[in-house]
Amino acid sequence: NVSSARVHTVRTCPALLTSTARYSSASSTKQLQNSSIAADDILLSDSCVKRLGEIMVKGEYLRISVEGGGCSGFQYKFSVDGARNEDDRVFERNGVGIIIDQDSLEFVKGSTIDFSQELIRASFQVLKNPQAEHGCSCGSSFSVKF
Amino acid sequence: VSRRKILPTRAALTLTPSAVNKVKQLLQNKPEYIGLKVGVRTRGCNGLTYTLDYTKEKDKSDEEVLQDGVRVFIEKKAQLTLLGTEMDFVESKLSSEFVFNNPNIKGTCGCGESFNM
Repeated sequence: NVSSARVHTVRTCPALLTSTARYSSASSTKQLQNSSIAADDILLSDSCVKRLGEIMVKGEYLRISVEGGGCSGFQYKFSVDGARNEDDRVFERNGVGIIIDQDSLEFVKGSTIDFSQELIRASFQVLKNPQAEHGCSCGSSFSVKF
Repeated sequence: VSRRKILPTRAALTLTPSAVNKVKQLLQNKPEYIGLKVGVRTRGCNGLTYTLDYTKEKDKSDEEVLQDGVRVFIEKKAQLTLLGTEMDFVESKLSSEFVFNNPNIKGTCGCGESFNM
């Protein structure tokens, strides 16, 4: 499953090749197979859990994906999804959860998903991403640390 | 043809109905605030970004916009930047935000939060 995901990544976006290859050369291949390792997890903040409880009906999840784009190279995408694919990982807390595909997980593992509420905007955000070097001010785009 | 300038009579900022509703809702239970204040700040990958705050009083240099019963103040620094801008409120299931449709800007960042002129 892991290797097939990687081949897929290489084919779709050559820019992803270096980073993905580097992660696998470290010990992350083992970590991927062992879901109990905390560094591999995605945390949901209290505000995120609260907001998801308000807006999601049963069976719906917040899908997070990473795409090439934005001013810093990669950007986070949020959507609502009720369907779960084969290579998806689910992180749940208090009856609500997020799903993320394996390719995207590589770029956001260890992060915290937060729902930030300010006067000017309220939105979901990925915080404290250990893989991200520096982001755009808005936090929706980031570049990868090597 | 008269070249009289009519710019000063135009509202510096217009609000869409959804923005008016949201501002009303924000200020509903907060009698201590008289309105919202819009400003710009140097931040972000494209130079500038908008700020939005509650305000308790009108500064001397603030431009006041009164529309449909809501009051929005524009900071002195932001007045030229915002001239002719439409303030909109966009809400979806996952996010809600005030969006500024500014005719003066040259470019924006991918997320739309940062811009240059």
